[in-house]
Amino acid sequence: MAHFNALASSWWDVNGPQRILHKMNLLRMDFIYQTVRNHLRLNPPETAVEDEIYIPPYGVDLLPDAIKKNIVAEQEQRRDEILENAKLTVLDVGCGGGILSESMARLHFIDSVKGIDLSEDVLQAAKLHRAKDPMFVNGKLSYQLRAIEDLPTTEKYDIITMFEMLEHVEYPSKVLLAALERVEVGGWVFISTINRDFISWFTTIFMGEHVLGIVPVGTHTLDKYINQTEIREWFESDPQRKEAFSVVDAKGCVYLPAYGWKFTSTPDVGNYFMAIRRMK
Amino acid sequence: MQDIVVIGGGPAGLSLLAALKSSPKTRHLSCTLIEGSSLQSVRDFLVEPPEEYTNRVVSLTPKSVEFMQQKVGNWDFIKQDRVRFYDNIVAYDSQDNDARIEFDATQIGAGVLAVMCENINIQSSLIGRLNELGMDDSTTILDNTKVIDITSPIHHDLDQHDLNEIDVNSGKSDLDWPIVKLSTGESIQARLLVGCDGYNSPVRKFAGIESRGWQYNTFGVVATIKMQYEDHRSIGWQRFLSTGPLAILPLSEDNATIVWSSTPWLSELLLKVNPDIFPHLINAGMTLEEVDLKYIYSMLDKDPNDFKVLDEIQWRLSKIDIKSLEENYPLPVVELIQNSRARFPLKLSHADTYVAPRVALVGDAAHTIHPLAGQGLNMGQSDVGFLVDALEKGIERGLDIGSTMVLDSYVANAWPGNHMMLGVCDKLHKVFTTDFGPVVLLRGLGIKSLNMAESVKDLMIKAISGR
Repeated sequence: MAHFNALASSWWDVNGPQRILHKMNLLRMDFIYQTVRNHLRLNPPETAVEDEIYIPPYGVDLLPDAIKKNIVAEQEQRRDEILENAKLTVLDVGCGGGILSESMARLHFIDSVKGIDLSEDVLQAAKLHRAKDPMFVNGKLSYQLRAIEDLPTTEKYDIITMFEMLEHVEYPSKVLLAALERVEVGGWVFISTINRDFISWFTTIFMGEHVLGIVPVGTHTLDKYINQTEIREWFESDPQRKEAFSVVDAKGCVYLPAYGWKFTSTPDVGNYFMAIRRMK
Repeated sequence: MQDIVVIGGGPAGLSLLAALKSSPKTRHLSCTLIEGSSLQSVRDFLVEPPEEYTNRVVSLTPKSVEFMQQKVGNWDFIKQDRVRFYDNIVAYDSQDNDARIEFDATQIGAGVLAVMCENINIQSSLIGRLNELGMDDSTTILDNTKVIDITSPIHHDLDQHDLNEIDVNSGKSDLDWPIVKLSTGESIQARLLVGCDGYNSPVRKFAGIESRGWQYNTFGVVATIKMQYEDHRSIGWQRFLSTGPLAILPLSEDNATIVWSSTPWLSELLLKVNPDIFPHLINAGMTLEEVDLKYIYSMLDKDPNDFKVLDEIQWRLSKIDIKSLEENYPLPVVELIQNSRARFPLKLSHADTYVAPRVALVGDAAHTIHPLAGQGLNMGQSDVGFLVDALEKGIERGLDIGSTMVLDSYVANAWPGNHMMLGVCDKLHKVFTTDFGPVVLLRGLGIKSLNMAESVKDLMIKAISGR
């Protein structure tokens, strides 16, 4: 138990060895929140005509400022209302010590979060830390020692997250498929991994492992990195998959010392996040 | 157990509570505010304000007013008839009467430079706003309640941690949340403890945050007075005496407030002087030469009730050109409101940081400033704004709002601006309280040229008014 506790305390020490991960979590949450929020269906089919809000068929930027402001304000208010009543379920694959799981579970529009991981040690650490916030006594946040493939495909989730994980598994396409099978229609799969390029090698392997020693040597293997375009191509390659899923967004990100993580202008270099939506 | 416990029911603490309850993102947080004294006079003010002005008057920047209108929503509850807007501030030097600088906000098309408002008017407007929002279970104000002690639950050494205490699956554990022990016998555990508890902040001491600064060996004397009649010019006046600045700030109708920063000896004298002589002493302070003032002080030092000084002052005033007196100086003061004089020490202090795990400092708990530029309360308002921004963002990101991952951005945004403002006001104080010849000469030249350099002055006007 002492081992878990040490792990839990170092995992959750925001100034400790996992500080970069805690910092990255901020950007992950921004990415998830903004993506979900921006793609809400503002006028669902059952909306009465008089309750529908106006969505201009073209960009709002073309409109005069005052009108634009009103339209945007009305839309934002509608988004708030929808999220207020939403009750989404989340599966966090490779949850580790639960940094992302806890954050997701605190959001008011999330009904429940299940974190799964293959390491019993880190799950114990996650459970120990969960006990430190009375917010979680209601059972909103649960952890299981399980691989995603072992979950029944009948169990569907509104949001499935797989952050910093695909680059560590043997067959990423199998894991990704397992996630796609378990997401609700209209739901989201959020992933993050690393482009296979010189910049990635330099930042994550050379600097991260060998020079700065932030993570143990051998944590990353360049061969396992996946280019963002390869994932897009993988979705295109199968007609059924192409029809059912859409890669809605991908954003590159970079860690700047003394600042934290920051989105970059392109998803084709270094680390990136990707949002995939099940359309039907 | 509470999400946020705010210590201190001054303008900073109440603003924070009202801002949190106004924001859709933070509204759901359970908040308790603790104030040692009674807030009854504040509540009474909301219903029926007293006729006379109270002596604690503060200057609000247009930026603070905007914050109150848009973010906190308490501006509608301010008694507007007791508020005075300024579009011009005139500052001049007692050792060089031609060295004067006018900050005219109409020059930058802004209209308002500062707003004078009683402290209690702000507090009561915040209570009004909180009432409007509805005081449900998640909003508690405990006044007449003192903080006896703040403690942290014992941290066990990790290796020896007795894990039987933590039942992993039941979710029971010893929280690391600070515990506030109250004079009522109650204890509250807080996810985030916010100290709005002033210069001697117990919360800051609990968090072990160092605060650095110095006493100025100077005291501020405040008083509420009546002018001869209402001055429609909407000008705030400040004269830099060698003992410290003296400011007359008109309020509504013929009311005005003064702030006279001075040496310990003079400030004591100002409190002792016969209430009927006091108005004349202010008139003298705003107009007469330093040598004359010294003579008058010495007469009053011998006998604070010596009415002969009135003749001395009158005779000296009669030698000033009447037209200049009307144009370049404030109206004569005629009356001191009873028991409105008060004295407080002036100091500068700035905390090294405003946050620690599960702790944040706001307002005077984080910084105290010389009142010569009227920025103190405004810095507290900007703190509240930055802290609420940080908490909103933290909630959007699903973080524990007591974590430094959330609070760090509050410090990053609030600290540098406050530090600059503290530095500028400190330097102004030092430059103006000297009678060292070369400095007097240089500052005279500086003021005169600054008064002509419109573009620089425009920048200063923007800085003063927080734009």
